[in-house]
Amino acid sequence: MDELDETQLKNHVDSLKQQLQFNREKTSVAIPELTKWIEEKINEDPFLNPDVLKDNPWVESSKCVII
Amino acid sequence: MGEMEQMKKEAEALKTQIEAARKAAHDTDMASAASGVAPAPRVQLKTRRTLKGHLAKIYAMHWCTDNRLMVSASQDGKLLIWDSHTGNKVNAVPLKSSWVMTCAYAPSGNLVASGGLDNMCTVYNLKTPVIKTVKELDAHTGYLSCARFLSDTEVLTASGDTTCALWDLETGKQKTVFLNHVGDCMCLSLSPDMNSFVSGACDSLAKLWDIRDGQCKQTFLGHTSDINAISFYPGGNAIITGSDDCTCKMYDLRADQELITYQDAALNSGVTSLALSMSGRLIFAGYDDFNCNIWDSLKGEKVGVLSGHDNRVSCTGVPPDGMCVCTGSWDSFLKIWN
Repeated sequence: MDELDETQLKNHVDSLKQQLQFNREKTSVAIPELTKWIEEKINEDPFLNPDVLKDNPWVESSKCVII
Repeated sequence: MGEMEQMKKEAEALKTQIEAARKAAHDTDMASAASGVAPAPRVQLKTRRTLKGHLAKIYAMHWCTDNRLMVSASQDGKLLIWDSHTGNKVNAVPLKSSWVMTCAYAPSGNLVASGGLDNMCTVYNLKTPVIKTVKELDAHTGYLSCARFLSDTEVLTASGDTTCALWDLETGKQKTVFLNHVGDCMCLSLSPDMNSFVSGACDSLAKLWDIRDGQCKQTFLGHTSDINAISFYPGGNAIITGSDDCTCKMYDLRADQELITYQDAALNSGVTSLALSMSGRLIFAGYDDFNCNIWDSLKGEKVGVLSGHDNRVSCTGVPPDGMCVCTGSWDSFLKIWN
């Protein structure tokens, strides 16, 4: 903070006042909602559901034939 | 007491009050709240493609929204556009300045951007018969560390001059400047709803900004060194940061605080980059020690490693459909894994 001039310092203090006003949610509410979102998406996640990766664009889906 | 001294004291008092408010909201921790969640399985990935073509260190890469094309930037002075499925180079964009630190693909696929020690963000049109420079965004007084397109008309940048900026691509001017960091800004990530973004800086802080009103809404503490990488959670209510202090952290936006730190006593290299799997459950973090470690974001445990690069992993990216992860390295190669 030592590098700030007077105007910058004032803006900093005003910003901190605003940030203090933030309406914080309790972690007992926020965390379950976070985990719920992730768990719902896990089925679509190719790294966690191998079925999604069945059509892997980087793996040859058919064998090569020598003609 | 001088006015400056008074304001400094006031700032310290406000920070203490914010910490107290955070503690009051902390009625449970991640370990307890996520105890019912089954741990993620060990993740073992194979290298599906090694993209060779750059002649020097790769500093950045970014996926196109089509899940197939990607752009990479190297200090050999080129942006390369790759078809990740075939491994072919689709385009090469020669850069005026080879000291590039970031690159970005516009959601439309029409434009790419780059920037670095030239302090500018240069935007190129890939769809004209010959690739043309559309704009040079020139107003930052420090290096360009990160750029991201909101659309074909707006770009967000993070700079070593400690500011972030929103630019109008039609006029080439800054619409909004985001002022609050006291250290070089190193990275930024757009929220899924595009109304806000987070930035990480050398002041060890991550900040959440409202794009339209330009205000810093929240500040996240905890890291003890430069934050080099940052990403929004796909759901939009949490962020992950990676730092030179060798750890990654998850911060919850609604509780306004750190939930978990991803660290290992054996790991003493800085985190350079990170990307999330599409559910957010896995974090792919690139480190200075040439590896990319895979973390279970809910349990805080390492579930895999991507080893194969011969130098620092400088960038990582997961495409929107989550089908793979790409790592880019100072060894001049990009690798696609799944």
